[in-house]
Amino acid sequence: MSLNTAVVNHHLDQALNSPLFRNAERQSRFLRFVVDAALQSPPATIKEFDIAVAVYDRRADYDPRTDPIVRVEAARLRARLREYYEVTPPEGVRIDIPKGQYVPQFIPVEARAAKAASDLSMLVPPFRSLSADPNDQNFCDGLTEEVVHKLAQDHRLRVITQSAAAWLEHREGPKPRYLLEASVRRAGAEIRVTLHLMELTGGGSTQFSNIYQGTTKDVFITQERLAEEIRGDLSAALHIGRPGGERVH
Amino acid sequence: MDSNTIRHLRESVALLPVDDLAPVDEFYRRLFELAPDARPMFKIEMGQQAKKFADMLAWVISHLEQPHDLCHELRELGARHSGYGVKIDQYAPVGSALNWMFQRTLGDRFTPEMEEAWLEFYAFATFEMERGSRESAPTGRSVTLNSD
Repeated sequence: MSLNTAVVNHHLDQALNSPLFRNAERQSRFLRFVVDAALQSPPATIKEFDIAVAVYDRRADYDPRTDPIVRVEAARLRARLREYYEVTPPEGVRIDIPKGQYVPQFIPVEARAAKAASDLSMLVPPFRSLSADPNDQNFCDGLTEEVVHKLAQDHRLRVITQSAAAWLEHREGPKPRYLLEASVRRAGAEIRVTLHLMELTGGGSTQFSNIYQGTTKDVFITQERLAEEIRGDLSAALHIGRPGGERVH
Repeated sequence: MDSNTIRHLRESVALLPVDDLAPVDEFYRRLFELAPDARPMFKIEMGQQAKKFADMLAWVISHLEQPHDLCHELRELGARHSGYGVKIDQYAPVGSALNWMFQRTLGDRFTPEMEEAWLEFYAFATFEMERGSRESAPTGRSVTLNSD
């Protein structure tokens, strides 16, 4: 699939008109500046200095070593793009600005792949602690983060966190297809996690459930191990375990 | 944030001098240099403001593994700033000044990995603040950048 300037510009206009970019004037200019430069023929080189002068009104004596505004804003722009694609699956093209550079990449997204990604959307609210001990909720929060992080590695899944879900409530369009809920019980040092994957579009029927066990001895190792087990089970349940594998539900 | 990012954040803060507000003073000096229009927005005495900033930094560092509490606090902070009329674009010089504070105070001990960790954290923190501001109704009060 080849991309042309019109496709990229159309996608850029859509993104910049979204609520996430509409109120972020400088970051919108930043994105437009680097996209325009990359679309030139031949593509223009993009230096930190160029962005500082063109977008952040820095003068010719600008020194990136003493004023890292472009690096600060690039990190924020990457986060904004991630959030945008989390709530708006790309169609036709996706813009990425890889870490350590400012030249954007235009990644073709086939309509079928976009639809599949949309179809595999999963809402993941914070896992619940069933005890009154606030430390147990902290464990749940950490486990939720770890699970979301691992699931998000698979680009076929569109993982939606609680905050993104709040934004989606005010947006028209398809709702997430799946809901992943988990509760955590603790007895002494023993932890038991009960997990349910429900298909929201199918009347809330449970697609997969399992119980996982761990200990509080080494919290980070336990969270990482549990998250990896959960990721593996969910990938198998949704038939996305193999790279390039197809979902059959 | 992964465990490496958290480790670099903690290591950089651990290298700051104890009970010494000089780095925070440096932060504000740099902030007002980068954004002179921010200076009149601070309504309280700068010594008090520096103490508040240092307390906030310590609180954040101690809550990096408690995303629920951290996000809640950052969203509240964002909602308050939105109420004061602070715009999204005004967050950028603060991140720049924060980086400067570590560079100036730690010199070569502030590694590229630490800088990367702070850039990632600042992107996360300001994004949560934005979420807080989106979820709150603006009151249109006068602008301030107090780090309360």
